[in-house]
Amino acid sequence: MDIRTREEGSVTVLYLKGRLDLASGATLKEEVKKLFAKGCTQIHLNLAEVEFINSSGLGSLVSVMKEVRLLKGRLTLSNLASYVQEIFDITQLSHIFEVFPTEEDALVSSQSVSVV
Amino acid sequence: MNDVVRRIGELLVRLQSPDYYDREDAVKELGTCSEDDAVHGLVMALEDPDLGIRELAADFLARIKTPAVSQLLIRCLASEDIGTRNLTCEVLVRIGSDAVPVLIESLESDDRDVRKFVADVLGRIKDPRAVEPLCARLADDSRNVVCSAAEALGEIGSPEAVPDLLAVCEKTEDARLHAIEALGKTGDPAVLERLYEYLESPDPMLQYAVIEAIGQMGLVRAVERLIPFFDSTDPAIAEAAMSAVITVSVRSREPVACDPPLDRFTDFLLEGIKSRDPATTHYTLDHLAQWYGSGIMEGVFSVLEFVDDDTFRRVVEIVGEIGAPAGELLVSRLSVSSKQLKLKLLDAARLIVDEEFARHVMPYAEDDDPEIRQRVAHLQGISGYVGAVPTLKKLALDANGHVRAAAIAALGWLCGEEDVDFILTGLDDKYPDVREATVGALIIVGGSKVIAKFTADLYHEDTERQRLAVTALGWIGEVDVVEPLLRAINHPDAGVRKSAISALARIGNVSDVEPIALALNDENSAVRKAAVSALVTLRGGWAFHHIRPLLDDPDVWVRYHTISAVGDIGDPKYADYLIPYLDDSLDVIKIATAKAMAVLCDERAVPALARLTREKNADLADAAKVALTRIGGTT
Repeated sequence: MDIRTREEGSVTVLYLKGRLDLASGATLKEEVKKLFAKGCTQIHLNLAEVEFINSSGLGSLVSVMKEVRLLKGRLTLSNLASYVQEIFDITQLSHIFEVFPTEEDALVSSQSVSVV
Repeated sequence: MNDVVRRIGELLVRLQSPDYYDREDAVKELGTCSEDDAVHGLVMALEDPDLGIRELAADFLARIKTPAVSQLLIRCLASEDIGTRNLTCEVLVRIGSDAVPVLIESLESDDRDVRKFVADVLGRIKDPRAVEPLCARLADDSRNVVCSAAEALGEIGSPEAVPDLLAVCEKTEDARLHAIEALGKTGDPAVLERLYEYLESPDPMLQYAVIEAIGQMGLVRAVERLIPFFDSTDPAIAEAAMSAVITVSVRSREPVACDPPLDRFTDFLLEGIKSRDPATTHYTLDHLAQWYGSGIMEGVFSVLEFVDDDTFRRVVEIVGEIGAPAGELLVSRLSVSSKQLKLKLLDAARLIVDEEFARHVMPYAEDDDPEIRQRVAHLQGISGYVGAVPTLKKLALDANGHVRAAAIAALGWLCGEEDVDFILTGLDDKYPDVREATVGALIIVGGSKVIAKFTADLYHEDTERQRLAVTALGWIGEVDVVEPLLRAINHPDAGVRKSAISALARIGNVSDVEPIALALNDENSAVRKAAVSALVTLRGGWAFHHIRPLLDDPDVWVRYHTISAVGDIGDPKYADYLIPYLDDSLDVIKIATAKAMAVLCDERAVPALARLTREKNADLADAAKVALTRIGGTT
């Protein structure tokens, strides 16, 4: 999986491309850990180019979410393919994650929320 | 012509019939005639004893926008009957700008009541042509006319009326309040200084009107003159000032620097939210985060069950902004809240749920109400608090199915493989939502134990369990599920076979596609279609020679699907095999082929496609045109 990063104000946007499974999930967790080390706790994942996600991939997202919550940060997702949205619905992960239709929607939401 | 006149005469007589339906039919027929006598009849019907007939006549009259109709209607404004006058006003308003010239003339009527009603109607129509004539009426000898004219000028809102309205304020005490209200609505900044003078008046009613008018003007610079009135000993004045500041804030869309004494205005603001007043709600929520600590947050929580969805969403966001302190406040409110409010409070915590919050709300896992228990289960899961697992396991055995489902879903988010055995018991639950939640939870947990369980369930005696199992394996999607799914291609149930093949296509990484290729000969057409798609997804062009025989499958939809799949391969060298199907006897096959040609873009298809553009079947003709355009674009 390729992971490209971009800063947008206080939010770090990660663009994931490829399959999100056991191996790439571990890569994602490492990348996020690096961001935490730099003090970045506002993270947005753009999943537009994620073509496949399995149980391990979901587990890595949940793991990242837990870490973000512990640091009182915020994690948002956007651009889920219909297949990924379906798996989020089946597992009810759409209740845990803040999922937005587009990256822009997520970033606008982040701007209107400032951590007190 | 005589026939028409005679007929109208008959209808006019029927308008006097004691029978409701007779009169109704007469009005309906008169409404289709444009003759003057017919219009007269409709106007007469405005005084019918039955409301339904009066409104029917009004509807027809409102569609006839001629001056003659307006003239007739204005006569009705002199009616003794208030219902007739009101209905006539409604009709004139509905006629709108077409009635304005006649209405303006009628402002000169000898009848002061007519002048008054005409002014009211002109105000509602808001046509600027009425400004000057209405200004002239500000000097009318009837107080009611002056007040109506002032109100109407306010509705029209033209700054041209300002000098005359100011004159009324100076000279006509009876109409001063109306004039001030109208001045506020004009929004003319030049008026502001004059309004400030009236703020000093000892008359509370005048002060109230001026404060409201200043609010209506929406000028931020006026706020500093309103702020001193927050301390007025007259609560109505103080609230008017608060309301005016809110109005300025909403109208100007600028930040308004103002710190109202919240101890005085909390009730006012909360009442506004409760009654869903948009301006007050908007203003309060905009400032809520900065007002935190003043007590107003508790107040907002206490009215949450009355707010609409948009307001609730905004409150949830604000709670998220404030964070943990808002969570503490929320928890403290739970114990003193009704069931409905508790549910709202728990929902409002969605963005701030953490371990600490989860621990605070844990006691509510034993609430008498299952909806509360369900919410708590949900929040425990969101919190990520592993310490909630024992509580969730208890809730997973709750008497209520919704609670069990929520608890199991939450366990999926929190648990690891060590709890798989417990979660698996949900597959035997009698409630379908619980079984689905269990599948969802197990998909997240994953692992060899889960895969083994679902692999065994592929051959469960219950068909639903078989299908859940194949679906779950597909969603788990790990390398270890590939073998069981390949075996499931030979499952006795066609639904399972189809799902297994589709899952394998999605997972990819299938080294041996032979079982899928064999499924191209499955007795079930849905399975054959799934196999076609899977092979193309997994192997691309290599799949063509395997799927090619299905171009002649006995099932038309398998043929359709296979043609589409060849198009999806996207390699022009396969166009040769498809071109003959442009002459198929079935339109649906020709459509599929035309669409595939739009991708493969082979010029040899052009003659056949050109013929198809002339087909009566619009879908077929369109598909052929699109294909021709694409082919034309590539040559």
